[in-house]
Amino acid sequence: MNQSARQVSLPDRLSALIAKPSGGAVVLLIAICVVMPLTQPSFLTPDNWGNIINQMVYVLLLAIGMTVVLISGGIDLSVGSILAISAAVMADTINQGRPFIVALLLALLAGAVFGAVNGLLITKLGLPDFVATLATLGIGQGIMFLWTKGFPFIGYMLEDYYVLAGRDRLFGFIGAPVLIAAAVALVIAAVLRATRLGRHTYAVGSNRDAARLSGISVSRVKITAYVISGLLAGLTGVLLAGRTTTVSATMGIGYEIQAIAAAVIGGALLSGGRGRVSGAIAGALLLTVTYNVINIAGVSATWQQVFLGAILLLAVIVDRLGTLAYQRSLSRARVRSTATLA
Amino acid sequence: MARILRSLSVDGVTVTIAFVIMVAYFAIASPFFLSGENIRNLLVEATPIALIAAGLTYVLLAGGIDLSVGGVLGLSAGVAYWGLLQGLPVGVVVLLGITVGAVVGVVNGLVISGLGVNDFIVTLATMSMSFGLLAVLASSVTLAGAASEEFSEIARGAIFAVPTPVIIAVVLLALLEVILIKTPFGRRVYAGGMNPRAAELAGVPVRRVRFEVYVISGAVAGLAGVIQASRLNSVQDGLGSGYELTAIAAAVLGGVSLTGGRGSVWRTVVGALFLVSLSRGLQLLGVDPLWFTIVTGLSIIAAIAFDRIMQRVAASRATSRETPAAPMPPASVSEMTRV
Repeated sequence: MNQSARQVSLPDRLSALIAKPSGGAVVLLIAICVVMPLTQPSFLTPDNWGNIINQMVYVLLLAIGMTVVLISGGIDLSVGSILAISAAVMADTINQGRPFIVALLLALLAGAVFGAVNGLLITKLGLPDFVATLATLGIGQGIMFLWTKGFPFIGYMLEDYYVLAGRDRLFGFIGAPVLIAAAVALVIAAVLRATRLGRHTYAVGSNRDAARLSGISVSRVKITAYVISGLLAGLTGVLLAGRTTTVSATMGIGYEIQAIAAAVIGGALLSGGRGRVSGAIAGALLLTVTYNVINIAGVSATWQQVFLGAILLLAVIVDRLGTLAYQRSLSRARVRSTATLA
Repeated sequence: MARILRSLSVDGVTVTIAFVIMVAYFAIASPFFLSGENIRNLLVEATPIALIAAGLTYVLLAGGIDLSVGGVLGLSAGVAYWGLLQGLPVGVVVLLGITVGAVVGVVNGLVISGLGVNDFIVTLATMSMSFGLLAVLASSVTLAGAASEEFSEIARGAIFAVPTPVIIAVVLLALLEVILIKTPFGRRVYAGGMNPRAAELAGVPVRRVRFEVYVISGAVAGLAGVIQASRLNSVQDGLGSGYELTAIAAAVLGGVSLTGGRGSVWRTVVGALFLVSLSRGLQLLGVDPLWFTIVTGLSIIAAIAFDRIMQRVAASRATSRETPAAPMPPASVSEMTRV
């Protein structure tokens, strides 16, 4: 077996790399970083990368939550609405004169509760994941429109909030949101890797029935995954509202596609059981770098959505082709090894 | 009582009953609701939704999902209107809109059925691209102000007081239903959605059928876009956003199964009529139209939850009536081990 593995040809090796979760994203990222500086020297400056890192935080936080849900075999389409509602809770509570910390806790709680509702609808009522979260996406958007009545929330920016939202930057380019996102990434990665909850999440996603029969509470794992996603979406809303300084009814619309794109580019499987925080980071970085490239190249911002869709489509196609090629090379290797044995 | 419960669990009955009760309520609450003018407006408003939901039903029956229908509606409307501004004849404009939709459908179908990529993510991506392309188009051309009588007639004309779009929709929807029920192709759609492996073994070209339903869904959404463009006589950035939610809600309300193989076009149409009458009726009663997305979302949840409960009731009645030799449901297995 070892010998046949060494005989694998270069194209096979390349397809094996792409077939690895998030391999395609890494290859594309490297390609962009090699090609872009040739035409746009400003791409590789520390200033630009500071911007990229500060911009990717929001997609990254959503993508990490989405990855957890995807691993458990679900999908969360409602993150954009959760984000908006948490931002509105934050702004409204501050405007009512309550302390900053109370507003922050209430906003995070709102996100977690929204996530718990998703989880309960799916596990207790038996709604398919994407239908339940599509419905709550619509409901959340409706609530936002009714709540704001066309007047966005403004005037909620306290001194503390400016700091939390990343006005002051460590070493000139690391804002508070970057530190928060880094901490979240470490915690979730540790939970997924080293705790029972993490192992159970993978188990439920890869084979629900087997997980149930081996004594895992499928409902509890799934509800936890949606609560994590809701909580992180709420956190994203708080951070984003601090940057935009207004919360309008249309806030967060379309963010679910970015979050799913980043997670899937990062190697999370829609069928569940596979996904990693490091993949979500790679996916979020690729998306943000692509937007950055579009901006630097002077392409109008209206093209962003087209590119987002195209990248998502390309990523899943490359992932699928890579998997197919890898399977083929594996079966070829197997044929070869049985031939040598004979 | 048992018989009533069982007949409620028959697909499509519940939503029809709910629809009739709702119409009766609105008719009593507001005398204007059943006026000829209101019914005409309501039907015209329901046309695009009913059409895209019917196309989506084909995809759902075949065991897939198409989230791009709203985006396709918007993009087709935009491209068709652009064609109109370029001075193309109306017939060509209509064909252009349908073609745009069909092209997106072909892309969906090729990637999903040809490569075996997840249908959900592919149509999410094409949805994003369609809305994006509409935004690009709308930002470079003002899609309004075409003074074409002929084009306006598509949505504003009437034959014997019946609006033209309603006639187009009724003919097309009837055709889609007949194809589904009466032709070998329709049976293949059901078979592929119910049990793809069994259908494959029985000689059904499951992958080709999967491809074809996406093209149908795209083309129908394209036509819906043309009708919408004619109705509004302008196309704005963002037209069609959220329509996929309403279309899925219509299908689900009509009892179409999201796992494939169960449902039909007429039931989806009843679901669409239910949603549009609900929003219209609430508006007549003075409820803020902003409630509409909330009501749509809640009705999806209620419909599926109700469907689950009914199925459970029907299943438990069937097992308790039939011979005890019937296979035991999993719940009773655990009871046996406890004994």
